Amino acid sequence: MTTLTKAKEVKIYFFQKLWRTLFLICAGLLFALTLSTLFDTSLVEGLKDKINKPMQILYAEIIGFISPGPRYILYPILMKLKEFGVGTGVIITLISGHVLIEPSTGFVESGFFGYRFPLKRFIVSFIITFFAGILTIVLID
Amino acid sequence: MIKKLTDKFKIASPDIKVALFLILISIILLLFFQKNLITLLTENLSVIIKIIYLTIIAVGISTLIHFLLPAESIEQHLKQNKLIYLFYATILGILTPGPVYAIYPIIVVLKKKGIQNHILVSYLTGQTIVGPARIPFEVGIFGLKFFIYRIILSIFMGPVAGLLYLLFSKILPDKD
Repeated sequence: MTTLTKAKEVKIYFFQKLWRTLFLICAGLLFALTLSTLFDTSLVEGLKDKINKPMQILYAEIIGFISPGPRYILYPILMKLKEFGVGTGVIITLISGHVLIEPSTGFVESGFFGYRFPLKRFIVSFIITFFAGILTIVLID
Repeated sequence: MIKKLTDKFKIASPDIKVALFLILISIILLLFFQKNLITLLTENLSVIIKIIYLTIIAVGISTLIHFLLPAESIEQHLKQNKLIYLFYATILGILTPGPVYAIYPIIVVLKKKGIQNHILVSYLTGQTIVGPARIPFEVGIFGLKFFIYRIILSIFMGPVAGLLYLLFSKILPDKD
């Protein structure tokens, strides 16, 4: 009986989480697919040539930090970016920067621990994400 | 009808609001640039199927971890404030599933139990930059090597974040 109750609890948790995540992912996917019809590979190549790699990392980091939203929403967009030939360094920076800290979590942390905690976490996150991106460019790109 | 929808939107979580905003932007872009939604979806059917099955696996993993790794076990492993705990905190963060909002209650409990802020920063860093539910997405889209590289990178990023936090706290100390 206890095992049955536990299984039921797991099933309810799974389906509740699944519908919610699928909704979020599908919204991200629709946005990524829509954007992909407006850009082409040559545009991304042009941007890559014009902007040097450390600056690409910096821009990716800023975009990641200011982008709101749940973590999985970014994957369809990253999938399209990869198809367009965006480097691994930029992808790593976007993944790391997207959820490491964002304006809304900054306010939550400020409420719990005072403004100094998110402020220092923002500076620390900025430094580590930048170096992770640069390291990836050196090692992989 | 509109009032009901507005009220529902007001009480929706931030995630749902962002998703609705993205859908709205997509609709505006599709209408503005006169793109056919049906064509867009049929042309990208393989991508859509891949993302959906990766999502189902991700939620499955996240559900398993949720029931196998209760919050109390995290607290047990982070009781002391030695520097090696920056590493443990990162690993535990990596293993903790769920959105970042869901882990703040755990963070608050840990703080009340006397865990210092730099250890909490390592935990938060590990939890946010990588997680078990990301495995299917990252392996499925970018490959296994990419995910292994991300894990290794995160294992370094977490403790470094904690150490840097400690360093910055010498200039701007935490208010208790």
